Amino acid sequence: MKLELGNFNVKEIEFGEKTAYQKGKLTINKTEALNVVYEDDHIIDADLKIVKPGDRVRLVPVKEAIEPRYRQGGGPVFPGVTGELLQAGKGQTKALKDMSVLVVGKHWGGFQDGLIDMAGEGAKYTYFSRLKNVVLVADTDEEFEKREQQKKNRALRWAGMRLAEYLGRTVKELEPEEVEKFELPPIADRVCELEDLPGVVLVLQPQSQMEEDGYNDLSYGWDTNHMLPTLMHPNEVLDGAMISGSFMPCSSKWSTYDFQNFPLIRKLYQEHGETLNFLGIIMSNLNVSLEEKERSAQFVAQIASTLGAEGAIVAEEGYGNPDADYTACLVALEDAGIDTVGVSNEATGRDGTSQPLVAMDPKADALVSTGNVSELIELPPMETVIGELEALGRDGLSGGWEDDEELGPSVREDGSIIMENNAMFCGDGVTGWSTKTMKEF
Amino acid sequence: MDKKAVVYINQFFGQIGGEEAADHPPEIQEGAVGAAQALAAGFEGKISHTVICGDNFMSSNQEEAVSRILEMLEDIDFDIFFAGPAFQAGRYGNACGAVGKAVKEEFEVPVISSMNEENPGVDIFKKDIYIFPGGRSGAKMQEDAGKMARFGNKILKEEGPFPADEEGFFKRGIRHQYFRPDEKPAAERAVEMLLKKMKGEEYTSELPIPEVDRVEIAPAIKDLSQVKVALVSSGGIVPIDNPDRIQSASATRWGKYSISGMDRLDNRSSQGFKTIHAGYDPAAADDDPNRVVPVDALRKYESEGRIGELHDYFYVTVGTGTTVGEAARMGREIAQDLKDAGVQAVILTST
Repeated sequence: MKLELGNFNVKEIEFGEKTAYQKGKLTINKTEALNVVYEDDHIIDADLKIVKPGDRVRLVPVKEAIEPRYRQGGGPVFPGVTGELLQAGKGQTKALKDMSVLVVGKHWGGFQDGLIDMAGEGAKYTYFSRLKNVVLVADTDEEFEKREQQKKNRALRWAGMRLAEYLGRTVKELEPEEVEKFELPPIADRVCELEDLPGVVLVLQPQSQMEEDGYNDLSYGWDTNHMLPTLMHPNEVLDGAMISGSFMPCSSKWSTYDFQNFPLIRKLYQEHGETLNFLGIIMSNLNVSLEEKERSAQFVAQIASTLGAEGAIVAEEGYGNPDADYTACLVALEDAGIDTVGVSNEATGRDGTSQPLVAMDPKADALVSTGNVSELIELPPMETVIGELEALGRDGLSGGWEDDEELGPSVREDGSIIMENNAMFCGDGVTGWSTKTMKEF
Repeated sequence: MDKKAVVYINQFFGQIGGEEAADHPPEIQEGAVGAAQALAAGFEGKISHTVICGDNFMSSNQEEAVSRILEMLEDIDFDIFFAGPAFQAGRYGNACGAVGKAVKEEFEVPVISSMNEENPGVDIFKKDIYIFPGGRSGAKMQEDAGKMARFGNKILKEEGPFPADEEGFFKRGIRHQYFRPDEKPAAERAVEMLLKKMKGEEYTSELPIPEVDRVEIAPAIKDLSQVKVALVSSGGIVPIDNPDRIQSASATRWGKYSISGMDRLDNRSSQGFKTIHAGYDPAAADDDPNRVVPVDALRKYESEGRIGELHDYFYVTVGTGTTVGEAARMGREIAQDLKDAGVQAVILTST
């Protein structure tokens, strides 16, 4: 399967007469763009903002991040989600790089939503502070979940995807500034030199622990809760086959942007043919019952063995209960004789003394750690807030609180905040961004 | 550097005397006395006082000794506290740890010690104070004191954080996130680690899984009818006034309570026993403590001749949040007491 990503490096974004991309500048006709947002009647109020690194802006509650793209030939960027079901991962897809569409609630946040600071101390905690962002800040009529801690955010997330497709269409007729090629031949056809390199699989455990529809990560529109581990081509993930859900504490979350740009996939591609033979992705999931956890681990180990993998990297979207799925998968792969490395964050508590993972096993002897979900972060006020700052404390964001005996409220009168890392938007970069690790102090 | 330190040393290193002076009660002297001078050599601030206490006095009257030392320090202005080096001396290591921990809690100053890795004080106190790995004996005095002094200088001059692997002190089980100065992303770290692992080369896991010290299951006792059985529990059942002040979580103390002549444990409302365990709903255990420490059932077995006899005491601590190190120490102490009493079998109840 061969995928070409045709990249356009966005250097500047501004509002203007006509929505168009020209030589690094993306111009957006706001009214026209908002019309795309309002295609869903559930959106009752929407606005667009533009933020760039260094702006004294705080965004909260952030629900999703998406890279604007155009699928050459006109198919949906997210097959099975924003349009018909078709094969992702082949042909050409154009992408607006160095930017994202961020979706922010105008008022209401929830457990799964997060915060981004575009400048200052807070900017080091999330990858999205480094991008130029078109921010959709909107409200919906989804009354049933307005006061729920756990929100599906359906209308807002889908509006974000529509907006990303709308912006992606600006480069429909343009020649990419740079083309990245992603190609892996069928495993059975791989040439002799490759056979001497160790076969490696990437095992992904996207979040799928909600039994009710509407919260979990989707694979071609299919709820990952209802699937067994399966083999996927890495190109599919890079090309819109997977979209983020709306469930996990935010620093652990993989946004749709993260799936589209997955650093672990890109790194394995880079090493393919040099130091290893990248066999593909085993798309697993995270489960509720023990038997489901064990069944998925068994499937993963079997597929990896059948493919002849000598090495595996496992990445977990979440912490706490799903650590059981994560460790079970690491152990099953090791038991199958496959050298395995795990990537996840830890939950060592505010004081750093709690057990790092809910389930631990000595066989998991090669782990990469990307942060502590409970780390306390205190940040000064920001000049501008997009969204509603009160949401951090009021709406049950996983890293915020109304009041605390020792620490006081998360949101203070002067606009400064104190929160757990949990609420940093996709802050633990488990997909491979994270420059954080964990150390003993 | 305009900072002041106080040093704790034992009677031997404080030049009061050897084992014959080990009952020496705590005292405080001005300046760097005895072995404290080894610290003074490397410490860039000033050592204002030296606290000296006999190892025996400390081990047999720890609470009193510690509270006397805290009192002595009350009016002294100091920025940092050094204890030891204690080398492989167990009582001395324990004293450095106990005093250091109390000083840190009371005065909120950094506390630095040094002990040999074999010193039991390391496992007990490494969570509470900075302990550097030291030599086995006083021959390593200059070196060990030098390490303590250098870290003392650093901690007073620089803002942290101070990662254990960079500074060299024993890991304390305190894990925090840390931005890598080289900004190497997780994707690269993971692939590099995997390549090394597949080649059989050395690599460092960023989350080392603690070694599990597995205990072999003892062979079954075929005939219990001649055996003295004891009950031991981590369920926190104590006499209603909790006389040994066992902690409700992260326990470091255990208790031993007589059940001689009792058919069953009386419950909380009868002023008998209750649970102080913070990790489960206490209602059922307070209502009937025998469901955690089954004295009633064992008495029945005793009367039926199914066991030889029930030991006159049960043993208890609290399991929630208790570190493996503390649990192992308490286990060793309880096991010794059981052996001394001729107990041949134990029923261990958890919650």
